[in-house]
Amino acid sequence: MDITFKNVNYIYQQNSPFAHKAIDDLSFHIPSGSFVAIIGHTGSGKSTLIQHLNGLVVPSEGEVRVGDFLLTKDKKPKNMKELRSRIGVVFQYPEHQLFEETVEKDIAFGPTNFHVDAEEIKRRIHEIVPLVGLSSDFLKRSPFDLSGGQMRRVAIAGVLAVRPDVLVLDEPTAGLDPRGQKEIMHMFYSMHKQQNLTTILVTHSMEDALKYADHVIILNKGTKYMEGRPEEVFIQKEALHRVQLDVPEVIQFLDQFEKKFNQPIPFMRQSIVDIAKSIRNVVKGDASK
Amino acid sequence: MSNSFIIGQYVPGSSIVHRLDPRTKMTIIFFFVIIVFLANSVGSYGVLIVFALLSMFITRIPIHYIVKGLTPVWFLIIFTFILHLFVTREGTVLFEIYTFKVYSGGVIQGFAIAMRFFLLILVTSLLTLTTTPIEITDAIEDMLEPLKKIKFPVHELALMMSISLRFIPTLMQETEKISKAQASRGVDFKTGPIKERAKAIVPLLVPLFVSAFKRAEDLAMAMEARGYHGGEGRTKLRALKIEKRDIFVYILFAIVIALLLYTRN
Ligand SMILES: Nc1ncnc2c1ncn2[C@@H]1O[C@H](COP(=O)(O)OP(=O)(O)OP(=O)(O)O)[C@@H](O)[C@H]1O
Ligand SMILES: [Mg+2]
Repeated sequence: MDITFKNVNYIYQQNSPFAHKAIDDLSFHIPSGSFVAIIGHTGSGKSTLIQHLNGLVVPSEGEVRVGDFLLTKDKKPKNMKELRSRIGVVFQYPEHQLFEETVEKDIAFGPTNFHVDAEEIKRRIHEIVPLVGLSSDFLKRSPFDLSGGQMRRVAIAGVLAVRPDVLVLDEPTAGLDPRGQKEIMHMFYSMHKQQNLTTILVTHSMEDALKYADHVIILNKGTKYMEGRPEEVFIQKEALHRVQLDVPEVIQFLDQFEKKFNQPIPFMRQSIVDIAKSIRNVVKGDASK
Repeated sequence: MSNSFIIGQYVPGSSIVHRLDPRTKMTIIFFFVIIVFLANSVGSYGVLIVFALLSMFITRIPIHYIVKGLTPVWFLIIFTFILHLFVTREGTVLFEIYTFKVYSGGVIQGFAIAMRFFLLILVTSLLTLTTTPIEITDAIEDMLEPLKKIKFPVHELALMMSISLRFIPTLMQETEKISKAQASRGVDFKTGPIKERAKAIVPLLVPLFVSAFKRAEDLAMAMEARGYHGGEGRTKLRALKIEKRDIFVYILFAIVIALLLYTRN
């Protein structure tokens, strides 16, 4: 589904002394099928932004268009439930949303609400549980007896079981072990490719953004600060530092390399192996190959 | 939160009302609540209204915010007025609606009661608007101090109060967060038959309780780790102190009481 923000403003607690503008005149377009990373310092409005996508909040001004659904201040779509079934949101710390007696029931909660039939739900659960790195032994256990990381995986499975067209991920791997982070991100990415999803990833990890996203939006204080392809955005060190962001390590490395060897290796999202080759060439004094 | 109900909501500021000692504010409100019931003439109501409105202006909290925040209470006030209009049967008949006779006594009575109600709500919400919950608890603990002699657990009570007050906003945030997460999973809290909506509460309440218990456990642990051992011999970071402005306000309030007694009939 195409997603378009047009001059969106969002104000928390409007008309009170606590009024706070969290989104300020934000416009962008996300074509269907893209993988977009949203990056910004803490409090820059990322979580607020994603809540517009399935109508949890509506813009105080401006309009949000998600596929055929139009959301403005005065007009919420009538079939909100359909919108929500097509946008899967994995919230920041989604393990807090677990409540059922067993893991299986909790995963089935979403699809049941969206009227998927029981047989189909069973099938989906058995397909998804291994994907999120759990075994089917977990299904009969209480979600409250699991570790934080396991609970996170159950919550993610609960969102995936709805089979959304758009996957919205708000720092889905924050607080997981490094290996688990890699696995989960990889799982999201292959799902994105296989099912041709539109994926929106909120992250503090420049590495993840660089690795998976084909478009990056940098937020600062609720406004769009930068936007573009990751390899274009992430080389702008000074601009990123100004909004308390760092460049990914690979780019820092290439930067330092250039300083020490006086030989640039332009970054074009090449793999580690390719970078190693370029370095060998420079070191051997044969930069042309 | 789109909630605009303001009772219990603190609005930071630096007005003299904000800076008064919380004990001063609570004492004055305690006596205000009593003297509201002494008013019985136009003059005496006038004195109270001037006092209440003046206090309101001095806080420098936007008036429209206060007025809007009291919306649910306006309804009650108007309801009280109308009730008295029809129930009281004193004085002369002013006019008749269908078979209901409206007496002059009813209008006066209704107006007086509604006015009392309004004054009480306004002044007490000025307290919570200008005083942090922590200040209120400190004041209560201090004012209940004498009860310690009869082994009343004043410190524990105050601690319980301040912890609950401290966690109200946290719980509200949590509620909002969880209800958004469940709404994304297809729960409909707002429409549908009552039975369905009642069922929708479960996915909200369970996670809320789970996290509240978890928080309580963590807090107990953190307090113990930092050497908390009850109120015995514990010193205070924010000591309450009566300043010149408090004395001034007490004198002013004494004048208000005097004027009220003078204008009563
Ligand atoms: N429910 C709320 N009521 C009032 N203000 C809020 C609320 N939620 C967020 N805000 C404010 O809006 C701004 C943006 O918050 P948001 O949660 O979108 O930030 P974020 O970019 O997701 O930050 P983080 O990286 O820490 O998750 C912040 O300044 C925050 O204080
Ligand atoms: Mg956030």
